[in-house]
Amino acid sequence: MTLLSLKGLTVRRGECPVVDHATLSIGAGEVVGLIGPNGAGKTTLMRAALGLLPSKGDTSLMALPPAERARRVAWLPQSREIAWPVAVETLVMLGRVPHLSGGQRPGPDDEAAVAEALHAMDLTAFAARPATELSGGEQARVLIARALVQETPLILADEPTAGLDPGHQIATLERFGNLARDGKSVLVSLHDLGMAARHCSRLILMDRGRIVADGAPDAVLSPDRLADVFGIRAHLSRGPDGLVFQPLSVIP
Amino acid sequence: MSRRAIFSGLALVVLALFVLSLLTGPAGFGPGESLAALLTGQGDAVSLVMREIRLPRAILAVMVGASLGLSGAALQGYLRNPLAEPGLIGVSGSAALGAVIALQTGFAAMFALALPFAALTGALIAVLLILALAGPRGGSLTLILAGIAISALAGALTSLVLNLSPNPFAVSETVFWMLGSLADRSFWHVGVALPFMAVGWVLLGLTARGLDALTLGEDAAASLGIRLGRMRLMVIFGTASAVGAATAVAGAIGFVGLVVPHMLRPLLGARPGLLLPASALGGAALVLAADIAVRLVLPDRDLKLGVLMAIVGAPLFLHLIYKTRRQLA
Repeated sequence: MTLLSLKGLTVRRGECPVVDHATLSIGAGEVVGLIGPNGAGKTTLMRAALGLLPSKGDTSLMALPPAERARRVAWLPQSREIAWPVAVETLVMLGRVPHLSGGQRPGPDDEAAVAEALHAMDLTAFAARPATELSGGEQARVLIARALVQETPLILADEPTAGLDPGHQIATLERFGNLARDGKSVLVSLHDLGMAARHCSRLILMDRGRIVADGAPDAVLSPDRLADVFGIRAHLSRGPDGLVFQPLSVIP
Repeated sequence: MSRRAIFSGLALVVLALFVLSLLTGPAGFGPGESLAALLTGQGDAVSLVMREIRLPRAILAVMVGASLGLSGAALQGYLRNPLAEPGLIGVSGSAALGAVIALQTGFAAMFALALPFAALTGALIAVLLILALAGPRGGSLTLILAGIAISALAGALTSLVLNLSPNPFAVSETVFWMLGSLADRSFWHVGVALPFMAVGWVLLGLTARGLDALTLGEDAAASLGIRLGRMRLMVIFGTASAVGAATAVAGAIGFVGLVVPHMLRPLLGARPGLLLPASALGGAALVLAADIAVRLVLPDRDLKLGVLMAIVGAPLFLHLIYKTRRQLA
């Protein structure tokens, strides 16, 4: 089953294409890492795929009415906005909005989903605290929990692990892995290639608006591409713990 | 405090102040006599005062207060800025400009609905200008800047009209009208304002869930299925309709939309959607209380409601900024 399909997606800023004829398809049960240097077009690709930006080409999500789209895909933006000092559980409950009809109050199912997401993100102790009083990393986890309770087949997450401590980075990506085992999928942009190599079932590499590689992590992270796209040299090996990737040096 | 306790408390305060407003005035009837005349009177002087002067005044205070409180809460929720208020996007200023032009040109005297019509036109022009300036996908910042520009322009044009006025009496009448008051209003004013305000209340009330979702930012709200473009139109037309009608019948009354949501926000866990009905009630209570105060503080000097509100509201607002400056930074 295809959860997301992009065909020739192009976004221009003025004359310059920020995303240039991107074509990809995401099926069920995948954790797809979207990698690439700064300005490669990762965020723009995801926003355009959601229909949040005007674009040319096809995205399977844009055709959906907003309420239906919100039940098919959750979006975790990079900017971590929490405008008002609302309680953590109230904020996470906003993820249930697509499942409530107009004026309907959240029911026991919604409460259970929120409690589960808070537990998964290690936030149960913070449930009643104003979200604005938490640290940056804790707020990031609150917003991930908000995306989880939306219970969509697909999650698009823009650098969800930035600013998290190593334990919570791994927990977040393992959580995505669990979702994939349940047949859901995640498209996640990452800068930490080591995390991407270990936790993603597939990587999509972007450079200057184009998708330059799409496949298994060890195939995508080839020395030539790393030199070409990132200008770095790295160690990549498959040991008893799975794929290990460590960037080593900048190629002069 | 539970949500129910807060809303029943606010409703009781409004009810108590409404009755108190009915019992306040220079005519000096006893409370029992006044209420009896209001309910069962047969056209005598007391029942005339109660039904034709005090009742519409108290009803207008509720309507104007609810409109200003609700608009303030909706704007703050939409702009995600606790300093937003109807004056900010230029609606109040433009409504006042429309009314001033009507008063100065004599248009206000041409037919019965001319003054409110002119104020509503001013509010509507402000809305359309803001839409044109901020564009269909414009962010909150663009809207705030557009609002500031339009406020400044409306203020300048109002000054120009007064500056060029050949008639000093008309100028003084206009300046007094702009100070904002509910004195000497009748059911005619209630009838003129109510349809426009009702439209505004409904439009703003429907944005509650969208405003809650907007706590997470525009992108996240859109991804939750909120139609931001439609919500934006509802906030702007709702505000124009409610504030335009309020300015038309009561003149410029500031700070209600600013102070009320500030005071109620901590009680409601800061949820923007819940803050809408609470601020409507809170605004009604505040304007009722202020309108009682202007009759008690200086009974024979016709103290203006807008003046009192600014004198009480501005320091309170400064205090609120001081208290919340850490969150604002």
